[in-house]
Amino acid sequence: MITDEVRAYIGPWSETEVACDPVEQGAVRRFAQAIMDDDPDYGPDAGAGGRYGGPVAPPLFPNHMMRRAFGTPDPIQDNAGNPDFDGVVPGQGLPAIRPLAHLPVLNGGSEFEFFRHARFGETVTVRQRYADIQEKQTGKGTMILVVIESELRTGAGELLLRARRTLIRRVL
Amino acid sequence: MKSAVTPFYDDVAIGDELPRLRKGPLTTMHLMRWSAAMENWHRIHYDRTFAVEHDKLPDLLINGSFKQQFVVQLLKDWAGPGGWVWKVGFQFRAMNKVGEALEVWARVKGKREAAGCGLVAFELGIVNEHGAESTPGSAVVALPMRGGPALPYPFVPPAAG
Repeated sequence: MITDEVRAYIGPWSETEVACDPVEQGAVRRFAQAIMDDDPDYGPDAGAGGRYGGPVAPPLFPNHMMRRAFGTPDPIQDNAGNPDFDGVVPGQGLPAIRPLAHLPVLNGGSEFEFFRHARFGETVTVRQRYADIQEKQTGKGTMILVVIESELRTGAGELLLRARRTLIRRVL
Repeated sequence: MKSAVTPFYDDVAIGDELPRLRKGPLTTMHLMRWSAAMENWHRIHYDRTFAVEHDKLPDLLINGSFKQQFVVQLLKDWAGPGGWVWKVGFQFRAMNKVGEALEVWARVKGKREAAGCGLVAFELGIVNEHGAESTPGSAVVALPMRGGPALPYPFVPPAAG
C-alpha cells in the first residue's frame, strides 16, 4: 500500500500554522478538569512571581490547540450524511494522505520533549511533517504506521515542545 | 497531587517506584468531557455503534491522547515545583476500553549527572484493574542536585554525553 504517491508525503515541513485562539483561561480550565489535574499552576491564582511567570497550561495543552478557525468549512456538517466519516479532522497544516484516507485510524503512541509551558494569553504555532510511513504485518492484519513530527513554539518563537506521534491506519 | 517539594537527584535510587496515579473507572462521561475539551470528534470514543460495527473495535476506546496526559501528570507531580519532565515516550500497544480503571506507574531505571543537574530515567506504563499493561514507555526527568543550582527555565537540555 506504500506507493510512490504515499511516499511523496514524507519529508517536507508544513507551513507554520498559528493556533486560532491564544491560550485561554477557560480552555485551560476545561482541559485540566477533563484530565482531572487541579494543579494550581493551571489556575488564575498562579502568581506572576512564580517560576513560570503566571498561570500556565498543562504541558501537552499546546499539542491540542490546532483547531478549526471561525468561519472555515465545517467537516462535521459537511459529513453529516456520510456514514463512513469517523470524525477525524486532519490538522490544518498537514495534508491528509489521500490513498490512506479511508483506513480507520488509531493512536499508536508518541514521544515528547518539553522545554517550557505556554502561559495564559500566549499564541502558539506549529510546523509539522510526515517523518515516516511504513507498512507492517501483525497478528491482527496489515497496518500502516504514519509518523508525524511536530515542533510547537510561542508566537514569539520560543520552543515549547517537540512531538513525534505514530498513527496506525488499519487495513480491515 | 503535585508534590510541594522537589526531590534532589542525590536522593533518588535506581529501582525506586513512584506512587501510582489512579484514574477511573473511566466512563463515557469522562471520554466525552475529554473529547469536548480538546475538540476531537473521533467517533470511536463516544459512538459505540460506529466503534463496534464500522471500525470493528471491541467497544468504545479510552483515547490515547487522554492516557498520555496521565503519564505526564504522574511525572510532573513527582518532580514538584523545581523539577522538569524533559522527555516522555510510550506506545499504545493494547486498547483500554470504556469502564476500565487505570493506574500509571513509573520506576527509576537509570541516573546520569549532567551540567548543573541530574537526569533520572524511568520505565513506565499504564495497567488496568486486571493488571494488563497497555502503554509501555520511558521518560527522563531533570532534578536539581543537593547544593547545586536551580534548573534553568525554560529548560535547557544538557549536552549529550
